[in-house]
Amino acid sequence: MEQTKKAGWARTRGRLRAWMSKPANIILLFFLIALTVLTLYPLLSLLSEMFIIHPGKEVRAARQDAGAFTTYHFTRLFATSANSYSSIQFYQPFLNTLAVSLTASVIAILFGGTVAFLITRTDIRYKKFVSAVFVFPYIMPSWTLALFWETFFKNVNIGLKTSNGIMASVFKVFMPEWFVYGYFPIALVLGLHYAPFAYILMGGILRNMDANLEEAATILKTSRARILWRITLPIVKPAMLSTFLLVFASSMSAYSVPVFLGSPVRYYVLSTKMKSLMDSYPGQAYIIVAVMILFGVAILLMNQKVTNSRKQFTTVTGKSGQISQIKLGRLNRPVALFLVVLLVLVAVVPLITFALESVIVKAGDYTPANMTLDFWIGTGLDKRLDQGDSTGILLNPKVWNALGYSLLLALTCALVAGTSGILVGYGVAKRRGSRLSSLVNSLSFFPYLMPSLAFGAIYLAMASHISWLSGFLLLGLVGSVKYLPFASRSGVNAMLQLSGEIEEAAVITGVPWWKRMLRVIFPIQKSSFLSGYLLPMVSCMRELSLFVLLVPSSNTILTTMLMQYSEKGWAQFGNAINLLIIVVVLLVNFTVNKLTGASIDKGVGG
Amino acid sequence: MKKWFALMLCCCLLLSALSAFADVAGDIAAGEAMSHDELVEKAKAETGTFIVYGNTSRIETAAAAFSELYGIDFLSTNVKDQEIYTKLRNESGAEAADMVMIQDGAQLTDAIAEGLVMNFLPASVKGEVAEADQNPLVHQFINKLFIYNNLGDDAPAIKNVWELTDPAFKGRVIFKNPESEKVNMNFLVMLTSDKWSEKLAEAYKNWKGEDIDLGEYQNAGYKWIAEFLANCTFGKSDTTIAEEVSQETAAGKIGLFVLSKLRSSSVLTDNLTVAQYDATANGYAVEPFSGFMYPMYTMVNVKATRPYTAMLFIEYLMTQEGFEPWGKSIGAYSPIASIKVNEGDLTIDVWKDTLVVEDSAYILDAGVDVEDFILACLQ
Repeated sequence: MEQTKKAGWARTRGRLRAWMSKPANIILLFFLIALTVLTLYPLLSLLSEMFIIHPGKEVRAARQDAGAFTTYHFTRLFATSANSYSSIQFYQPFLNTLAVSLTASVIAILFGGTVAFLITRTDIRYKKFVSAVFVFPYIMPSWTLALFWETFFKNVNIGLKTSNGIMASVFKVFMPEWFVYGYFPIALVLGLHYAPFAYILMGGILRNMDANLEEAATILKTSRARILWRITLPIVKPAMLSTFLLVFASSMSAYSVPVFLGSPVRYYVLSTKMKSLMDSYPGQAYIIVAVMILFGVAILLMNQKVTNSRKQFTTVTGKSGQISQIKLGRLNRPVALFLVVLLVLVAVVPLITFALESVIVKAGDYTPANMTLDFWIGTGLDKRLDQGDSTGILLNPKVWNALGYSLLLALTCALVAGTSGILVGYGVAKRRGSRLSSLVNSLSFFPYLMPSLAFGAIYLAMASHISWLSGFLLLGLVGSVKYLPFASRSGVNAMLQLSGEIEEAAVITGVPWWKRMLRVIFPIQKSSFLSGYLLPMVSCMRELSLFVLLVPSSNTILTTMLMQYSEKGWAQFGNAINLLIIVVVLLVNFTVNKLTGASIDKGVGG
Repeated sequence: MKKWFALMLCCCLLLSALSAFADVAGDIAAGEAMSHDELVEKAKAETGTFIVYGNTSRIETAAAAFSELYGIDFLSTNVKDQEIYTKLRNESGAEAADMVMIQDGAQLTDAIAEGLVMNFLPASVKGEVAEADQNPLVHQFINKLFIYNNLGDDAPAIKNVWELTDPAFKGRVIFKNPESEKVNMNFLVMLTSDKWSEKLAEAYKNWKGEDIDLGEYQNAGYKWIAEFLANCTFGKSDTTIAEEVSQETAAGKIGLFVLSKLRSSSVLTDNLTVAQYDATANGYAVEPFSGFMYPMYTMVNVKATRPYTAMLFIEYLMTQEGFEPWGKSIGAYSPIASIKVNEGDLTIDVWKDTLVVEDSAYILDAGVDVEDFILACLQ
């Protein structure tokens, strides 16, 4: 009896030791614990808010005490017919959100995917330009792209009907209202803004896929279209679904774009309703957050089904060779030119507009007499313009401090999120199919599904119980967790492509784990991994709503400063800072490119 | 064991929170009896960075001047109404704000009841500020006025607000969405009160020459709100609205926005006429109001770690010098009579007679139904 017990114990211990000897297991265990604390706790505290009466208006409206348990928020939001309340606050915005998010996802996938395909798999011209410029819309804060859209296309026949943008005043083209405000431009701006997701995620796969599969088909005289449909598309399907998930969730929680482009025509979405409800009826606002999360979870589950199914392809093996590029022939130049013109319109023209808006004094007057570099390098401005700071942004220590802080924050988040992403990817891929693996995989994606504003609010509440968690540490933690999904997505995708045999060779010769990671795995999928560092970095540089509640001062980071300036109507300073952000990110990208040979766009090709 | 420990910990936290609350309350009581020099002495004894939050951007200018005057380090941040409260609820210790400047009196009433902020009335201003403006202490009044583009033959020089409900004004009135800024919502809610609905009914009669037919509406306020909002388009900020209405291409448009935005160099001020200025100059009235006005308050955070600096700053803000960042341009009015308005602007007394002034008590009383009605009008 005693003996069997002992033997049983020894067996368990042995099994445990064997289990622990695999780095993948330890990684998964570590992230399971860390992510539970960092994502599940915020989620639960968010959910509990839906059942609590908050101090203030809710007390009077629900006639209950503050802190009491309640289902009032649900009946109020979902089943109040008086004044069409539920329809106005929830159902109509809900439908609008679905329409906008779906369209934005489709636009992002089609546009980003097509460009990724053209760059990686064809001999299209101007690759360098296209791949470099394509990521611009993502680098800009999305609301500045919305602002650009409005200032460029507005005219006296639509919206506020007060002034003409560049299109109407210079080119005499008056766009119709549906083109400038409401559903279409919101979906388009979001789609364009997030198209680089598709480009990066799908491009990484396309570039690294094993050409043998396509070559085999070519030998068997399969048509180009059929190869694309039956081989290429299935291989990029996981990345496509990842993109869909990312863009859908982002678009759903996007706030500023629908506010800027929807408000003038009274087009409301869930996020705008959430924001205004948060001010007076937080219980209902949190229900909206929960609805958004539920949607995200549904897509996540769908996504997971694909990643876990047998239809998963190992595309990078130990043997892969050259990939063949499709020759576009006669079509090359027209397609390339079309692409270049399109990209100039959505990526370069906004930059020119920002530059222009940062040098004019009176809005809408683009004559040289109305131009000045004061907002960049002027001094004594408060006396002359009675507006904004006393010096131009480049002479303002406040701006430089904020820039330094933003950069440090972005680098920190990128390092933490990027490294975690690779590790999660390794663990998940190695133990694919196990419950632990899919749990960690889902958990690592969870932060993405939470709207930034709510995420920031919950971390603020969490940090209030932990005295050392404040300032930079808090911002860094929030940013790392919130952007982990980018890194973990690209990490998982990249690792799933790797055939086991690559690492096995090193295992047999007794190479330690960390060396295998550094010397074998990392170099092969370098581009995907680096995009796992760069995406959090870029996102962090232009993030606003996540940090807005957590920054010690609105002058702490560039984006809060930028928003403050835009709100005060110091458009010139705002536009100058916006350009500064974009230029800095491009510089970082360029430096990374020079040092490592990889960059956001190089992650794909070009 | 663990449970006991957790319970003890909770009690400790609660006690320390309560004691902090009591401390600041005591400090404020003491501070209200102090002379300026005593306040300075106490404030100088406090350490660390003095932190202020405000939903007015010019608080930073004021804080910088204050910091220079007394040699006190400061950090100011521009946060919007609700976000200020979210921060106040969750921040504590040296990172928490010491004082805030905030609008929306109705919400502030709730925040005071919740125990987030406390009022401080400096001894120096006790006799200077009207009693009604002492608790919570009003630092300034801000007005949003009907201001129109004066170009072309069809300039909307309104004499009666009912004109704005005319179908001819469809798409010509620009306002900020009341959902996105609560003071705008408060203004509309005020119109449903007995006082304002009666005035509106009277103005209707003067405009149409016949009694108002309310139809389905509860009173004239509701009717005006519905028909006014139906004609409105919404701009994203008061600055944008000011800029847009001032454009040469915007003839025939009228906006309801913050007067102080006319200070901005990006606004073509010459193209704009303030309805009330014109009325005062030419001896007529805009019936029954030419815009609305709301207070901006100063408050001490109950968790302030530098309460005396906060009090000294509030005292400073109530002086001519402390008011300067706002007072140097039009559209901000100190409750202190000796702080004069800008040249060319009208006095606070004129504004109190011609504008809808926010009344927190009525807004809190009106409840959700009025707001629901307004929301429905926004669709």
